[in-house]
Amino acid sequence: MKEILVLAEHVDNKLSPITFELLGAARSLADKLQARVACFLLGYNIKDQIQALFSAGADRVYIAEHPELKDYRTLPYNKIISDYISSLEIKPHIFLIGATTTGRDLAPRLACKFNSGLTADCTELDIGEFDYNSKTDIKRSGLYKDCLYAIRPSFGESLKARILGPWNNPQMATIRPGIMLPIKPIENKQGEIIEVPINLTKNDLEIEIIESFREINNEIDLSSAEIIIEGGYGLANAQGFDLLRELAGCFNNASLGATRKVIDEGWMPYKYQIGQTGKTVRPKLLIACGVSGAIQQRIGIQNAGCIVAINKDACAPIFRFAHYGIIGDLYHVIPELIKELKEF
Amino acid sequence: MSFLKNIFVLIKQVPDQGSKAGVNLDGTIDRAKARRMLNPFDRYALQAALDAKKNYGGQITAITMGPPLAIEILFEALEHGVDNTILLSDRSLAGSDTWATSYALKKTINYLGEFDLIFCGLQTTDGDTAQVGSQIAERLNIPQITYCEDFKIENEKIIARRVIEGGHQTLKAPLPCLITVANSYKALKYKTIHGAKLVQDIMREEEKKNKYIKILNINDIKANPDFLGIKGSPTIVSKTEKISEISGNCKILKGSKELSLELKEILK
Ligand SMILES: Cc1cc2nc3c(=O)[nH]c(=O)nc-3n(C[C@H](O)[C@H](O)[C@H](O)COP(=O)(O)OP(=O)(O)OC[C@H]3O[C@@H](n4cnc5c(N)ncnc54)[C@H](O)[C@@H]3O)c2cc1C
Ligand SMILES: Nc1ncnc2c1ncn2[C@@H]1O[C@H](COP(=O)(O)O)[C@@H](O)[C@H]1O
Repeated sequence: MKEILVLAEHVDNKLSPITFELLGAARSLADKLQARVACFLLGYNIKDQIQALFSAGADRVYIAEHPELKDYRTLPYNKIISDYISSLEIKPHIFLIGATTTGRDLAPRLACKFNSGLTADCTELDIGEFDYNSKTDIKRSGLYKDCLYAIRPSFGESLKARILGPWNNPQMATIRPGIMLPIKPIENKQGEIIEVPINLTKNDLEIEIIESFREINNEIDLSSAEIIIEGGYGLANAQGFDLLRELAGCFNNASLGATRKVIDEGWMPYKYQIGQTGKTVRPKLLIACGVSGAIQQRIGIQNAGCIVAINKDACAPIFRFAHYGIIGDLYHVIPELIKELKEF
Repeated sequence: MSFLKNIFVLIKQVPDQGSKAGVNLDGTIDRAKARRMLNPFDRYALQAALDAKKNYGGQITAITMGPPLAIEILFEALEHGVDNTILLSDRSLAGSDTWATSYALKKTINYLGEFDLIFCGLQTTDGDTAQVGSQIAERLNIPQITYCEDFKIENEKIIARRVIEGGHQTLKAPLPCLITVANSYKALKYKTIHGAKLVQDIMREEEKKNKYIKILNINDIKANPDFLGIKGSPTIVSKTEKISEISGNCKILKGSKELSLELKEILK
């Protein structure tokens, strides 16, 4: 049976959202291929997370537990995963890893070990065939079935490229966080647990973690916010965000977001940036105020359930993909809107 | 303190996406017409290499793989104060993906010999993969620290701060080590007077040019042509398409009243 493998990520033994997103993506590919979904989990005292992986779509979990694996480090993770996969007679068909700072650190090294193609930072996946016909590359020409289509924006994102690596398994890709949908958890789903051998040498352990710091942030995380009020350069200054804060106050739990131009101007800190080089969001509702809708911006918001655009330029590209629009000056429209919403 | 010997910095020339020149109607780039520039992310790598040299000594060699015109960014690197430069240029490299690129660059590094530190940019704006650095480290079988935003060297180990989701992490690694430099690192400083003068001289004197810019082909580095170019790349771009206009049926509302009614529907 073909296998689709994903890498579990966790912080302080709590599984990260990307793990569930990868399992969701793997599940839908697996259904097309009639394959099983497997998940590689490395850590320490982490067995109690296995059930969550089964519930999220894994049929099989490969587990490696060791005190040295508690937190991610390049070399030990690289060693254990690559030793194990190399020892298999039949390699996983596909291997998906998050395009996080962890995944993008590790995946390239693994791909080198397996001589696999690796597509970075994908936003869509599919399965299909590939009829390769090259006069200069005769040896590899032919018809390939059940290929991974790894799809990602390219060239500054005005284009999408479909990238394949059908010649060698596992076919690998890193997946941009916040894009794939987890499945609805299936309670009590069972699966198979396989313990992976651990052979670490002194060389594998030569990088030490001195400290890790993560902001404990009481604000709502943009990537999981239900409602986002986004400000663009059309606000004209940092004070414009006071108006957006007031608008956000009209909703339950609305978060603020911003375009890169706003961040570059220093009107808001980087963590608010949405888009290709910022966060990908998937709120129920996003109100974009003074945002032109450049392609790099659109990548970040196109999964919103409903996009409302307020922009004074009727030709702004955002009106080509927003669901509702008001053409007008945001400094007139928003105060009125606040009034309407408050009255209700 | 001066104990480093060799510092390598890997830089690439990319099309300037800020300029409209050479951008075809379908969004693809005509590389011959496009304006060229030093990959913006590699400016941070260059600054990191210059900082390493200033604080811990050593000689900096800037390395690039690309067409003959890529020599332009080597001039730029010399102006900023690197000591030597290498251009790996060969027709058979065309179309290399990250697997093949990292192979060719690894062979170039082997050709050059011993080193203490290699700096790479985080990613390129054209390849945009952030993979080449880690793949070179894998092939050289050395440790790596990616997304580095600050570093120092103590007791012959590098202590570096790297970006992680929602925070940062400090790692300590032995040398030799490969570092990919995040764009939160210090910006590249101005060119040096010495460097600018050197490049002026190089433009005039062939001999000087040959001293500071070494051009290599794949035979020089003993690379296996089967592992290079399109044929040697495990990935292939099978199709590109313009990102589709998602809906094109935006409902234009007259004013806030209408919008607030719609919003109430949506949020029900
Ligand atoms: C490699 C790369 C990565 C990038 N990554 C990102 C990213 O992650 N996120 C991102 O956002 N951008 C990104 N960009 C930049 C992107 O291309 C755009 O430049 C940016 O999104 C534009 O921001 P904006 O919409 O705020 O500004 P503008 O494009 O300047 O748009 C401002 C809009 O406000 C409107 N406006 C002005 N005044 C008013 C008013 N009073 N009332 C109503 N409307 C008004 C204008 O009509 C205009 O449409 C990236 C670019 C590159 C090259
Ligand atoms: N052709 C090249 N020549 C030299 N260095 C390169 C080349 N391609 C990539 N690199 C290095 O690898 C980094 C990551 O590139 P990429 O994986 O293409 O995003 C770049 O910032 C460079 O430091």
